[in-house]
Amino acid sequence: MKKQNEAPKRNAPKKAEVLPAGKVTIHKIPTGVRGFDDILGGGIPEFSFNIIAGTPGCGKTTLAHQIIFANATEKKPALYFTVLGEPAIKMLRYQQQYSFFDESKLGKAIRFISLSDVVLEKDLDAVFREISKQVAAIGPSLVVVDSFRTVVRKATSGVGDLEMQSFIQRVAQFLTGWEATTFLVGEYVQEEIRDNPLFTIADGLFWLSQLVERNSVVRKLQIMKSRGHDSVPGLHTIRISTDGLQAFSRTLGFAGQKKANPTRARRLSVGITELDEMMGGGIVEGDSLLVAGPSGTGKSALATQFVAEGLRHGEPGIIAIFEERPPGYTDRADSFGLKFDTAQKKGKLEILYLRPLDLSVDEMMQEILDAIERVGAKRLVIDSLVGFEMALAPGFRADFRESLYRMIGALTGAGVTILSTVEVEDTFTALSFSHYTISFLTDDIIRMRYVEIDGQLRKVIVVIKMRGGNHSKDIREYVITDKGVVVIHPRQTEYARLSTGLPERISQREEVSPEPKAKK
Amino acid sequence: MNPASQQTQDLAKRLIAYEMSGDKSFETKAPAVFYVCETLRPHLAILMGDTGFHALLSRALVLAYAHVSWLQAVQVKADGSLGVSDKVAEHVAPEEMAAGSVILVSQLLSLLVAFIGANITLRMVREVWPKLSLNDLEFSKGDKK
Repeated sequence: MKKQNEAPKRNAPKKAEVLPAGKVTIHKIPTGVRGFDDILGGGIPEFSFNIIAGTPGCGKTTLAHQIIFANATEKKPALYFTVLGEPAIKMLRYQQQYSFFDESKLGKAIRFISLSDVVLEKDLDAVFREISKQVAAIGPSLVVVDSFRTVVRKATSGVGDLEMQSFIQRVAQFLTGWEATTFLVGEYVQEEIRDNPLFTIADGLFWLSQLVERNSVVRKLQIMKSRGHDSVPGLHTIRISTDGLQAFSRTLGFAGQKKANPTRARRLSVGITELDEMMGGGIVEGDSLLVAGPSGTGKSALATQFVAEGLRHGEPGIIAIFEERPPGYTDRADSFGLKFDTAQKKGKLEILYLRPLDLSVDEMMQEILDAIERVGAKRLVIDSLVGFEMALAPGFRADFRESLYRMIGALTGAGVTILSTVEVEDTFTALSFSHYTISFLTDDIIRMRYVEIDGQLRKVIVVIKMRGGNHSKDIREYVITDKGVVVIHPRQTEYARLSTGLPERISQREEVSPEPKAKK
Repeated sequence: MNPASQQTQDLAKRLIAYEMSGDKSFETKAPAVFYVCETLRPHLAILMGDTGFHALLSRALVLAYAHVSWLQAVQVKADGSLGVSDKVAEHVAPEEMAAGSVILVSQLLSLLVAFIGANITLRMVREVWPKLSLNDLEFSKGDKK
């Protein structure tokens, strides 16, 4: 996973928008959490009063730490009030394990203050007085109370709802008045949102959760409230690593991006001249091409040629593989006379082998997007979609097609040309494109299949769909040689019903086998 | 024998020497460790509360008991300050009291190092005693043995 400081520009916090004269400009502070600013629409509004809520173990405290370590300076310090839950000394012990933890900020830029004794021994007024005393003394830009839930739980044992609401109101008004961006961390369940005045007063509500499905656990983030600015709705996957939290926006960081390829006129060769002709001149740049066929028909070989052709024309590429290992891919390219090693060394090609356990689809797609950005890829191979889905933990597969749809849409919109392979089972009764029902994802479809001809299992290829225009309707035979996939020159075929895989000879013309046939 | 590392003992000695550099020894018969802990107490109490500091110092005291018998007469009060009978000063030799003070401060520092690491501990010490020169101190390997 990439470190925060390596985050691509796509996720960089947005600057405040220029508004008409007289309207207030709300500056946004970066969260320091990769992907989170994109979800928030640029960052957290300055002076806002926010709640970081969720069940235990979701990453609430880590998120709060990441935000303050990203923003706190000696001139704009952060105050971190700890209450009962996790004492500051334990926070320091554990949080220093994260890469974002900068011990040089402790003391002057970030100050930890325990409110435990005040909360335990005194009332809400005393808690408010202590908070206001410290804030007035230090003048922080950021204030965290962790856990605010503990403050409220202790206090509510002796006070009514109105008094509690008044306390929250006072805290919110005071901290906003002192120009502090505030984060109240607390363990809440969603049923509490309706009746708890805290959620009414808050400007921002960030909800973290852990979802368990079968043996998989995934952490999710939802912006349930973001007063005064847009955020990306829905549940976003988050991952906690040694770099802290990383958020994976449902839009994969492409929210609001303009299409970079308005003309879409250029056609790219797939590296097989005959197939280019069949496709009406090649694949339209920025298209998504699906190559469907059963195992062994040469889908990966075709994908290899597609990338190699791009490299020949100075177009960097990414190959994301899920079944075969990278050496197998480079070996195949070598056997076709295509030197992938050289391109890899020059940083023009990356072969991503993605078979991690329990990664969400958004995380895997982020890996692909990062690689595309690293090499400036113009061509992407996903080999294969079935392998991609299988590499995901079962709990994440439900999101697969939706996420894939978003990623393909975003990448092709940005001008990246994608070739995806999908394995389909030949039924010998029909020509299915994919049991997978992902044809809607693609602009173009090529089908490869086996046919039984004259006692041989041969291979045929056909262009099913080309969104960019007309294409050949021919079913062409091909072979895989030391050059890769080679489409055989057109010739009179004496067969009908090739698409079924069990063609019928319709004349007595002698057919010459394209490859040597076993002799009796 | 003090189980704390040599670096931690060195730091403890410096803190005690710094605290005792005035005329404090003439003002009271309290052991030197009291002054170090009393200076440290409000800073750590802000960080971990009075209760947290009380627990930490109590643990350090228990660990130090094993090596210094007169420390058994010392108690940690509810607010985290140390208390001891005046009789202790009458019966314990000054050198023994000084050695015991070093051990208790060393234990306290060792506990901090064990919890938050040498770097943050040293940073905290520097904040509490900003005028104390520690530049020549090799404390990065000062974890508790």
